[in-house]
Amino acid sequence: MPNSRQPLQSTAVASAPLVSLRRGAGQLFETERRLNAVLNNASVSIFLMDDRQHCIYMNRAAEQLTGWTLDEVLARDCPLHDIVHHTYPDGRPFPLHECAIDRAFPENNQERGEEVFVHRDGHFYPVGFTASPIRDDATNIIGTIIEVRDISEEKAAAERQRLLINELNHRVKNTLATVQSIAAQTFRGPPDPAARGVFDARMVALSTAHNVLVEDNWESASLRSVIERALAPHLLAEVDLNRFQLQGPDARLHPKVAVTLAMALHELMTNAAKYGALSVPEGQIVLTWSLHDLEDGRQQLNLRWEECGGPAVTPPARKGFGSRLIERQLPMEFDGSAEITYAPAGVICELQIPLTTLGWVGQETIEGRQAS
Amino acid sequence: MTLLVGRRVLLVEDESLVAMLAEDMLLELGCEVVVAMRLDKALAQARTGSFDLAVLDVNLGDARSYPIADLLFERHTPFLFATGYGRQGLEDAYKAVPVLQKPYQAAPLEHLLTRLLMEEPLARPGTRGSSMACACHTPNGQPIRADHCR
Repeated sequence: MPNSRQPLQSTAVASAPLVSLRRGAGQLFETERRLNAVLNNASVSIFLMDDRQHCIYMNRAAEQLTGWTLDEVLARDCPLHDIVHHTYPDGRPFPLHECAIDRAFPENNQERGEEVFVHRDGHFYPVGFTASPIRDDATNIIGTIIEVRDISEEKAAAERQRLLINELNHRVKNTLATVQSIAAQTFRGPPDPAARGVFDARMVALSTAHNVLVEDNWESASLRSVIERALAPHLLAEVDLNRFQLQGPDARLHPKVAVTLAMALHELMTNAAKYGALSVPEGQIVLTWSLHDLEDGRQQLNLRWEECGGPAVTPPARKGFGSRLIERQLPMEFDGSAEITYAPAGVICELQIPLTTLGWVGQETIEGRQAS
Repeated sequence: MTLLVGRRVLLVEDESLVAMLAEDMLLELGCEVVVAMRLDKALAQARTGSFDLAVLDVNLGDARSYPIADLLFERHTPFLFATGYGRQGLEDAYKAVPVLQKPYQAAPLEHLLTRLLMEEPLARPGTRGSSMACACHTPNGQPIRADHCR
């Protein structure tokens, strides 16, 4: 109802905010000084609008937010919309009559919303606004006070959270599918009372691999930690150095490499404990690894597992879960190679794994890097 | 179902253990299975191999399997997506492709593959699927939970 509104003055007294607060000439200076101190130290942007949507006052935060000074805005002598809100983010012109802030010229206090403003330098930024009417003594609406906050950070945080939840969902689903696969592989064939123990041990191996990943926020895992945790007899124990010789540099592993390698080592361990070097007190295992640069800039992990001091080895009659995982799946997953040799003196397993570049779909956004 | 026996299936699944499971399920259905676990290998297979069907995991770690889907469309090879996200996780152009909800289950896998073989070649990206009404889908086209298919 524009007719009921009495316009605020937008020229001569423009830089004297809230003139109606004057109670007497003697108080004027002190009041204005206090108000200016409050307004110019507020972190929220504050705009005082007349009933034509012209801005007649803005505080320092508002000047910083928009890139315009109050004097410049006053000199433009046009609706504030045409200065800070004139274009849609897709580049189309944004006429005043389509503007939600304008349409919602508030009848009630504290009407809220979100919009996208245009900075003086042309970039768009999302804002949250709160608009309240200013009334004269006869309660006619004579203007609006608008508080505006830049919500870029909140929007970015919400987007990061959405991507993280998607990634988490993907990883949880994958882990469940992995568990399902291990169960299917462990319990296939005729019922075997020992299968339950084998399954539990595989679950622990999978869980331990995830513990190593959590140490580095699921971004990567330390190769040495993956090896040491996989070879420890249980969660609370260290690797038995009388049994194992470990030699090789540390490296950061992609989570996929870490999990598959941990499962492969677990299968080698289980086999050694049942048939190989770990089935007798004097048996030993030498695990050595090295890193080589590939032509495409990635690194390749070469890892050798060699058992000695165990009973004479005979090749298994049937290839089980472990050899299928190591010799077939692992090379396919990482474009590498793997070979298990059943040498009479002890099992030898050699792995060549090109190391997948760290990262996952959406990670650039999470970390604020640009994909382009 | 005997319709699947002897069919050549391209299985694209990037996790070793999960690929094992899906491969075994397909083998038990009587299919001949070619496994690819990386985008480049899968593309090479789709380009040069000859397949009756394909099962594509959507998220291949650092890549999505959509380029393989495009090749399969071109070659009129019927395929489905296997994903933990469900249909809403697919890019719009691929929303007409049947979705198998992970974790893998033999009964819905068999059901969808059989239907793919009986259907006309799949609609191209951007168009609606021809006959989405089946036991696995509610009338509005939403997949119901796989365990209802038993």
